[in-house]
Amino acid sequence: MTRSLQACWVSFSQFAATFGGFQMFTLRLLPYLPRAILRPRLITEQIYSLGALSLVLIMFGGFFVGTVLALQSYSTLLEFGQVDALGAFASEALVRELGPVVTALLFAGRAGSAVASEVGLMRATNQLAAMELMAVDPLQRVIVPRFIAGVVSVPLLAAIFCTMGVLGAYLVGVHQLGVDAGAFWSHIQDRVDLFDDVGSGLFKSFVFGVSASLMGVYEGYYAAPNAGGVSRAATRTVVITSVWILLFDFVLTGMTMPGV
Amino acid sequence: MLSHKKPPNIIEIQDVRYSRGKRAIFDGLNMNFPRGAVSAVMGPSGTGKTTLLNLITGQLVPDDGAVLFDGKVVCPCSRHGLYNTRRQIGVLFQDGALLTDLNVFENVAFPLREHTRLPEQLIRQIVLMRLNSVGLRAAWQRMPSELSGGMARRVGLARALVMDPKLIIYDEPFTGLDPIAVGVILRLIRQTNDVLGITSIVVTHDVAEAEMLADLIFLISEGKVVASGSPLDMQQKASSMVRQFMQGLADGPVPFHYPGTSYADQLQTMSRT
Ligand SMILES: Nc1ncnc2c1ncn2[C@@H]1O[C@H](COP(=O)(O)OP(=O)(O)O)[C@@H](O)[C@H]1O
Ligand SMILES: [Mg+2]
Repeated sequence: MTRSLQACWVSFSQFAATFGGFQMFTLRLLPYLPRAILRPRLITEQIYSLGALSLVLIMFGGFFVGTVLALQSYSTLLEFGQVDALGAFASEALVRELGPVVTALLFAGRAGSAVASEVGLMRATNQLAAMELMAVDPLQRVIVPRFIAGVVSVPLLAAIFCTMGVLGAYLVGVHQLGVDAGAFWSHIQDRVDLFDDVGSGLFKSFVFGVSASLMGVYEGYYAAPNAGGVSRAATRTVVITSVWILLFDFVLTGMTMPGV
Repeated sequence: MLSHKKPPNIIEIQDVRYSRGKRAIFDGLNMNFPRGAVSAVMGPSGTGKTTLLNLITGQLVPDDGAVLFDGKVVCPCSRHGLYNTRRQIGVLFQDGALLTDLNVFENVAFPLREHTRLPEQLIRQIVLMRLNSVGLRAAWQRMPSELSGGMARRVGLARALVMDPKLIIYDEPFTGLDPIAVGVILRLIRQTNDVLGITSIVVTHDVAEAEMLADLIFLISEGKVVASGSPLDMQQKASSMVRQFMQGLADGPVPFHYPGTSYADQLQTMSRT
């Protein structure tokens, strides 16, 4: 009994310490952000390696989520005689919820873990120490560009995810299930609001992008300098980021849903 | 003529105490590294040779005492001051610590690109000159993963030299290399020191190489310098510690057994749990 209590206490204090360390790390990064703009090349390189290389996965994911949404909602909408609203239903679900959330989850799995293991490996192979000794601050040179690149990439990827999703819903809804194409698009136009829906979706994916990127660089930067430490950093990034994304999503949906 | 203003020792370690947890790694360490010489720091593994290098470069802070570079205390209290010092020190890590996402050329160019705004033409000239001096000009396009251990270390050396440091520090430069590569590194360290007129500190536990290379040898053990002098002096030292290390005997003042309770006690306590 006391042992399991003790174990609980240990894991709680570890969590608290991690969280505290994480906040300290975030505060330490802040002053570097303005200076990072002076070297856009470093950021665009990272946008390429994090964002562009996640592109295929995101497009694939978006397309199939869109098709499944159309298939799933069709029978319900049919029952109420509302199949024309298929496009509106699918695109609103995509823009407000599925786009930001699934994109961020895929990004954490594809890019967040990659950043964590890359930075962790740089730690383990003394590359970060070598930079320090060359009087180059690894936070400025390695960490901040990856962080900014992630924050920029996730909303863009979410937009692409939604576009592909709507396309998937269109193909299934209009070409397979026989929804009228004009009705499909005009309902989307009526229902999806630029500020309310697209804006809140973008805001969510910005928050998710910050969490996924911060977690990746943080776990990598503080990874134990050995093989086990690096793989743990990658795993923790995916797990913790996913939990955060789902939690934040709940909170943000509550905040941004009209009439809740 | 200018040199009379500079202190004769580039690095002075004054009464340094440093502990990890409760264990004192250094306790009253005193060392002077003379300008222009190749000094070897030797000692059994785990005595704190790497720790010493980290103290010199300001990655670690002594609990007590001071480390002086060029007469000034190395102190991480100001990032600016520390980085200023580090720009004058080149460090060669055991495995070269090359940046794995950059090729050989860009690795050597890295400090120049970070610290200067030299035109591309000039950067190319400096980098190729450095690569040429380590014999790897032709390998400029290779990625670090395509280099052998010895080659990676030579690229690391070229990179350490590219900012014209006053002092260059080598951590275990011979470990894990074939005899030819050891010979190459040995010659490069000596040449670099003499041709560029810089100072070198070589940390190693290879006795033969240290004797061939160094002007001055420090032997550290249990937190202190136990002996120092020219290679010839060291050969003639009578102390048993020095003899054990320089001749490679398994047991002696440095015990074969890791310190702990007696064998019988350990068997008893372990069978109880
Ligand atoms: N990060 C660390 N945490 C705790 N102890 C360490 C750490 N790094 C080194 N040590 C201890 O400090 C001692 C000196 O290490 P080091 O300077 O690497 O020795 P050397 O380079 O001479 O082999 C070792 O006994 C090691 O156990
Ligand atoms: Mg060592």
